[in-house]
Amino acid sequence: MSLPSDYSNEISALNREIVKAQPADVLQFCANFFLRRLESQRAEFLLSQQHSSPKGRGMAESTFPGNNPFGTSPSGAFTTSGMHSLEEEEENDTIASPTSASFAPGIMDQAPSDSPRESTFGNFGWSAAAGSKPLSPPVFGAADKQSFPNNYNMNRRTSVSAESLNPTSSTHDNWTPPFHQKTPDQQSRLRAAVAGNFLFAPLDDDQSAQVLGALQEKPIPTKGIKVIQQGDVGDYFYVVENGSFDIYVNKSGKLESGPDGLGNRVGTVGPGGSFGELALMYNAPRAATVVSTEASTLWALDRVTFRRILMDSAFQRRRMYEGFLEEVQLLSSLTPYERSKIADALETKKYPAGTTIIREGDVGESFYILETGEAQVFKRGTDKPVKKYKKGDYFGELALLNDAPRAASVVSTTEVKVATLGKNGFQRLLGPVEGIMRRNDPSKASAMDSDAIDPLARK
Amino acid sequence: MAAKIHQMLHHHSSSKDSGAPSEPDSTSPFERQDSAMDRAREDEKRALAQWEDKQRPMSPGEVHMDPERKAVGHSSRTLRKQDFELIKTLGTGTFARVWLVRLLDDRKGAQDSVFALKILRKVDVIRLKQVEHVRNERNVLAAVAGHPFITTMVASFQDHDSLYMLLDYCPGGEVFSYLRRARRFNEPTSQFYAAEIVLILEYLHEKEGVAYRDLKPENILIDAEGHLKLVDFGFAKKVENRETYTLCGTPEYLAPEVIRNTGHGTAVDWWAFGILVYEFLVGQPPFWDQNPMKIYEQIVEGRLRFPSAMSSSARDLISGLCTVDTSKRLGNIQGGAQAVKSHPWFANIDWDQLYQRKVQGPIVPHLRGPADTRNFDEYEPESGEREAYGEELRAKWEGFFDDF
Repeated sequence: MSLPSDYSNEISALNREIVKAQPADVLQFCANFFLRRLESQRAEFLLSQQHSSPKGRGMAESTFPGNNPFGTSPSGAFTTSGMHSLEEEEENDTIASPTSASFAPGIMDQAPSDSPRESTFGNFGWSAAAGSKPLSPPVFGAADKQSFPNNYNMNRRTSVSAESLNPTSSTHDNWTPPFHQKTPDQQSRLRAAVAGNFLFAPLDDDQSAQVLGALQEKPIPTKGIKVIQQGDVGDYFYVVENGSFDIYVNKSGKLESGPDGLGNRVGTVGPGGSFGELALMYNAPRAATVVSTEASTLWALDRVTFRRILMDSAFQRRRMYEGFLEEVQLLSSLTPYERSKIADALETKKYPAGTTIIREGDVGESFYILETGEAQVFKRGTDKPVKKYKKGDYFGELALLNDAPRAASVVSTTEVKVATLGKNGFQRLLGPVEGIMRRNDPSKASAMDSDAIDPLARK
Repeated sequence: MAAKIHQMLHHHSSSKDSGAPSEPDSTSPFERQDSAMDRAREDEKRALAQWEDKQRPMSPGEVHMDPERKAVGHSSRTLRKQDFELIKTLGTGTFARVWLVRLLDDRKGAQDSVFALKILRKVDVIRLKQVEHVRNERNVLAAVAGHPFITTMVASFQDHDSLYMLLDYCPGGEVFSYLRRARRFNEPTSQFYAAEIVLILEYLHEKEGVAYRDLKPENILIDAEGHLKLVDFGFAKKVENRETYTLCGTPEYLAPEVIRNTGHGTAVDWWAFGILVYEFLVGQPPFWDQNPMKIYEQIVEGRLRFPSAMSSSARDLISGLCTVDTSKRLGNIQGGAQAVKSHPWFANIDWDQLYQRKVQGPIVPHLRGPADTRNFDEYEPESGEREAYGEELRAKWEGFFDDF
């Protein structure tokens, strides 16, 4: 029997808080944590009550009691109101104890008593982080009304951006990722080290090989070397091959001089571990300082290389799909914009040799483009293939148009990679194919089952 | 290219209007000091002083027309920093500072002519590798000037070491400030603001082929009448039917395809719009963690959690917008923005009235006058140190700033 997922989520949140705060009084800290969570969850519940209250009355309309043009209209339509003053929200939702059985109706009853007050938002302050606020008393009273019961950072958020990247094939410079030879052992260790990282998880075999090949060995000759420094801008992601590193965080946000400049040691990372992955996204200040505790070896990967590998393969794949789609007669009236949308929606599937990709007589759902490998077409009553497909050939496109049974079977003769799109997916993006075909030539729509369009449609 | 032609045309026409001989411009235009220039400048300042009075919502078609034929959005060869009095800092970024400014003009009535002036130092723009973004920003703002819910770039200009964008001043301040103080918006308030944003995205995507790429409450201002103005087009880019790859945006609002670097387009704005509606209703965005990498992990997973009884139509809208698969994302699928406008959550919106600014907004700022800055926070004064824009940099980069 497994633990409820809500419980597991709470516990892992608590674990993070514990690691961060390193409390002296663990029990008190946990008690406070759960009370805070309860408060937050009950507040969310109250919010949801507001959302579900009828339009034109109830709590939701007290948000801007002075000038709310919605509250005065029973239909909920916008009307012009003469009152333009702006009001603070009444913080009713934390007045009652959230554990009291009657708290919700009690709150709801307060709504009519809201009277417009002349005020501006002034110095109404939310605590920016739960950590900086004094421990909440176990009973929630009116005194607590100004706290925001979770740890969301309420400050203005800064935009981020990485280097401008343009795909290799569009700039004509022949960029290839750097390649550093590794033993099979090293490769499998690296693969295992990044397996849990969501940035690496979606990579296909080629991308994965390129990324692993690009990792560069970086010997750390002795202990006490600061590989990354908190507050510095970061360009590299590191995987530990051997040795060990301590991680320090200074509360000021950056490494300072002096004996305590490193801040608190918050962890250790050893072989198979990794750090600095935010640098693979954009140029952000390092969140910690990492210091070697012995002679060690690292593997390093820089952001531009990583993102270029991802970009180039995505770019090539898109152009290839668009090129294939241009050849599909049924879709010849698509605009380049529509074609790129369809290319974006194509899904890659791999089949081993000998797989029946579509079967004669089945109801067709999807359309396929052969991306790599070869396939053969069979029809009932003949042993020999009636046709062969190679890279760039497509089949089954009539499924986009109607529910007619497949006119033949297609079987892979080698391992194949196909790009595929279902009728639903197509219609979701562009609407029915018939409509698109009628754009060019109204007669085409009725000539759909003609031989010219799909050899598989032949009776 | 179009902007370049426009700039030449504009220069040409303004010289002609002021009766100056149309001579080829060998020196840097902003250093010219002849009397024709002064007269042209006076004309331009007069037009600026009257600009507010002539304002009315332009139809999407009118906004879309050639910037040369519009009253706003041109590259000015006559305006200088000295034509404005800097009153107060309204906002700062890593390489830009926005000031509330007053047009210095002897004529009566000009006292009321206030603007927001965004000043970017060329050397910082270059150092932070933002040249391309700044060019995009200027050209997109010029193209969209006149839209009822987008900040109007009245003019742009430059001098030896800085770039200037003269924008309309929105005295209501950021939606961000109202949202944080109110904690969250009720449903009708959220619907009103969300609907104005939909009209902006519809215009940017479907008329201009522009992806905005930095939607968040911090970049949405409230004007004197209580309507929204989208500001900060630093990441806006004309993408049309090609995908683009440079990662940019704000962590909590990044779309999964931006994080995974598989190429992105205007669909990122619909994702961010879903995050925005969520933040309006709940008070914080759906994906959050102290550690930014954990935010990104949640985003690519795309599992949304809603407060238990958020209205089902709001949930449905947000789920449709915040769909990881772009081929299933509302706004990007068949119907485009129209599919968003037809969503039941917007059932009470009269879209035509809304575009015409005829619907009363939920917050109308209290103001003592057009230059009231009470709705803006205080910012640190500018630091004294400046890196020089030396000859070497100038030789390499000056050409990139021609459009200003």
